[in-house]
Formats: sequence, structure tokens, C-alpha cells
Amino acid sequence: MRYSPTLVDHFLNPRNAGLMREPDSVGENEYEGCGDLTRFFLRVRDGRAVEIRFQTYGCGPTIAAASMASELYRGRLVGDLCRLEAGEIERALEGLPDDRKHAADIAAGALRAAAFQYQARQG
Amino acid sequence: MSRRVYLDHNASTPVHPEVLAAMLPYFAEVYGNPSSIHAFGREAREGMDLARERVASFLKVSSQEIVFTSGGTESDNFAVKGLAWARGKGHLITSQVEHHAVIRACRALEAQGFDLTCVGVDEFGMVDPDDVRRAIRPDTVAISIMHANSEVGTIQPIEAIGRIAREHGIPLHVDAVQTFGKLPLDVDALGIDALSFSAHKIYGPKGVAGLFIRKGSKMVAVQHGGEHERRRRAGTENVAGIVGLGKAVEIRARDMHTEAERVTALRDRLWDGVRSRVPEVRLSGHPGHRLPGTASFLFRHVESESIVLGLDLKGIGVSAGSACTSGNVEPSHVLVAMGVPLEWAMGAVRCSLGRSTSAEDIDYVIECVEPLVRKLRQAMPVGVV
Repeated sequence: MRYSPTLVDHFLNPRNAGLMREPDSVGENEYEGCGDLTRFFLRVRDGRAVEIRFQTYGCGPTIAAASMASELYRGRLVGDLCRLEAGEIERALEGLPDDRKHAADIAAGALRAAAFQYQARQG
Repeated sequence: MSRRVYLDHNASTPVHPEVLAAMLPYFAEVYGNPSSIHAFGREAREGMDLARERVASFLKVSSQEIVFTSGGTESDNFAVKGLAWARGKGHLITSQVEHHAVIRACRALEAQGFDLTCVGVDEFGMVDPDDVRRAIRPDTVAISIMHANSEVGTIQPIEAIGRIAREHGIPLHVDAVQTFGKLPLDVDALGIDALSFSAHKIYGPKGVAGLFIRKGSKMVAVQHGGEHERRRRAGTENVAGIVGLGKAVEIRARDMHTEAERVTALRDRLWDGVRSRVPEVRLSGHPGHRLPGTASFLFRHVESESIVLGLDLKGIGVSAGSACTSGNVEPSHVLVAMGVPLEWAMGAVRCSLGRSTSAEDIDYVIECVEPLVRKLRQAMPVGVV
């Protein structure tokens, strides 16, 4: 299998998938040249992302990366989310094949966008 | 994972046990070069001659009109370039839904100065013979249209196209890799001058294929070297592979009619089962004129590779109609030519059945598809593509 057991688990059993009612912010990232798109919803309390949900359209690793990110960054400060890097998500998934590195990039970009939107709204 | 179900027979097939048995002596016992005149060589040649006769008999042609090659891609390149180069310059006609082996060979010829017309197809992936007729120019040197499409299974109206080609005295090449050994093929009745076929789609080995070249056809060799294959294709023949191809054809001539009926029934069972459980799914390709064992599904608003991965994890092998490589997803050129909207084309999944496929396999696939597609759609932002 070219994917790790952790990735396969997140693909088959995505955590926190689906819409969020009245989120505090929404961020989206579409990969250029690829149809893949991920959208994150954040609920923020005391500056921390207490709930993260996502929707995604993409191949298996893209779904798994969004699911992983939704768990990995829950409870973290929004300011930290603005600086998150795709490599962290990739490591948590126990690696991605070279031709699927974009899966972590899409998730990272979308989650950063949600964090930036929250901060922009806070002024 | 216990159960394994292979539904990718249009990609390749397992070697039939009788084919393997026929091939085995040609590795270590009969090993001479078929071009050698001594007994070792003659024994190898006898095996190859018998295979050539079996292929010729299946196509109802002379064995002298059969040339063995290394694969369907080589056969297609040989035919298209061999016909074009024999005429030096001019105009070629092909279709937008051909295999890349034909399309890219034609594009390479275009870069060398040939003119090229790629005729379109209708919503079912079918070429209109009148479009071929309208594309013909005084300098048209060859027409290449496939017999059946590997992705959607649509069978082209070759007889009508063959008639048009003959009326204009233009040679017709047909890529029959997906139909050879699956459907009856009468190259005379169909008006075919060159026909590509392959072994590994019909339970023969990989790395061996062939090309029928009608006697008297003006075609030059593409690969140069020795005097093999009556100077049409240089290189020592893959004797064991050719013997396997011959055996595979013999078996298919015997079994293909009953198997076509059986896999057609299973294909319909698959389609009925999937559509009764999964919303927003369509079948691509022609509803009637299609390969017996091919069912190409379009799942709206799902990405095909995620379905392939999900089914793979259940032990099921199918193929994706769109491929994502390094972040670039391109829907299949066949579906694009058919005008399939992107939101459907991106969710294309092909199931191709074969001789080992059972009703239990089909029921298992149906059971697995429904929850998988439902789960993938739950995570989907609706209306993205």
C-alpha cells in the first residue's frame, strides 16, 4: 500500500467532516490546476480553535489531510494556525507519496485562510 | 482483507492456464532463434507459425498478413506511421477518443508536416461516419478509428467507415485491442486494411501483440534491422509470447460467445445494483453498442480516485476515469470529447468484467460502492465542480 495506515484510517473515517452552523470563520483553498478543494470552518473561544470542521473535494489523501488537520490543530491558538505548515500535517499522516504532497498543502492553505479570516474580523 | 475482486480486465487480464501451459516449453526447451535454419530454430518457428495461423484464422485472413509486435502501442504506431510515411506527406483522419497510442502517433506525424483531422463524437462516444466522409480531402492518406473504446466501451460503426474509406481508396487502420477475441471480427466485411490487436487483454501474456496488414497495402516498416516478419518488423520475435497469443486466440474463438453473454448479464446486474442504491450516477458510453463486460460509471460530485482508493481498500480493483498526478487532475479526453460535464467526468470509474467474475463478486462490489460514495459525498462541498 502506498499510503500509511493512519492516512487510510482518516480517509475511511474522516473526523469532523461536514458543515458547521454559524462558524466564527471560514477558509478555503483550491489547488491550482487540480480540482481539489478544501474548506475549513472554525469555532473560536478565547483565541483558540475549539472546533474545526471541513468539507473537501479531492482524492483520498486530500480527504485524509483535511481530517488530520481538523484533529491536529483543535485547541490551538488562532495565531498559531496562521503559521501552520503543510509538513506538520504530512508528518502526522506518516508521509505522503511525492505525487500527493499537494494533499497536505491544500489542507494547510485552507486552515491558514480560516485563521487569517478570523484575525481580520477581530481587527 | 479477504475477498479480492478484479474488475479491470480492459487494463489487463490474468494469463489463462492453458495459455501458460502452451508457453512454458518455449522458454527452456524450445529456445532456438526462429530465424535460424537448424532444428533448434525450426522448432521455434513451428510454434510461431502455428500461432500466426490461429490469429489469421480468427480474423479470416492469410497468415502472411499477420505481423507480431511488442504491444498494442507498437502496433498502433506501426500502422499509423507506416501508412503515413509510405505516402510521404498528406492528411490523416482519426477521432478524438482514440487511445493515446494513436492520437500521439498522429500528433507526432503532424509535427513532421502531415495535416491531421480529429473527428468528434456524440454524447455516447460514437463517431458519425458522415463526419469522416466530410473530413476526407484529396490528399488524405490514412484513416485510423478504433473499434471499441477502452474507457466507455462504445463500439464504433467501423463497417460504415470502412465503406467510405474504400469508396475513396483510403487505407483504414482500426485499433481493435479492446475487441479482438471479444467480438467476431471480419476484416473484409468491415473494410479494414490494418488492425491492431494485443494478447494481454484476452488472457495472453503482456509484451506481445500484432498487426494485420492487408496484402498489397502500401506500408513502410517503422523499426529497422534484420529480415524478421517478412521485413516488416525487425527484431527477434518473442516466441513464447507469440505462442501464448496464438493459444489465447484459439481459446477465445471457442469461448467468446458464451462469455460475452455471461459478462453482459453480470454487467447489467452491476449497473442495476448500483443505480438502485446510489443517487446521481450515470453510465457513460453507448447504451447498446458497447463492449460486453464494460460498465463505466459517472458519480456526480465525487472524485473518481477517492472511489478507486476506497474500493481498493475493500480488495476491489477498478480504474479511475480521471487521474490526479502532482496536483494536476485531468478528466479523460474521451469524456471531454463526449461533452460530459466536469462535475460528472471527474467522478468516472470504470469496471471491466472478465471470465473469472462471478455474481457474488458483483454483489460484493455493489455492497461496497453505496456506503463509500455516501461517505465521500458527506465530506463534499456541494457545487464545487
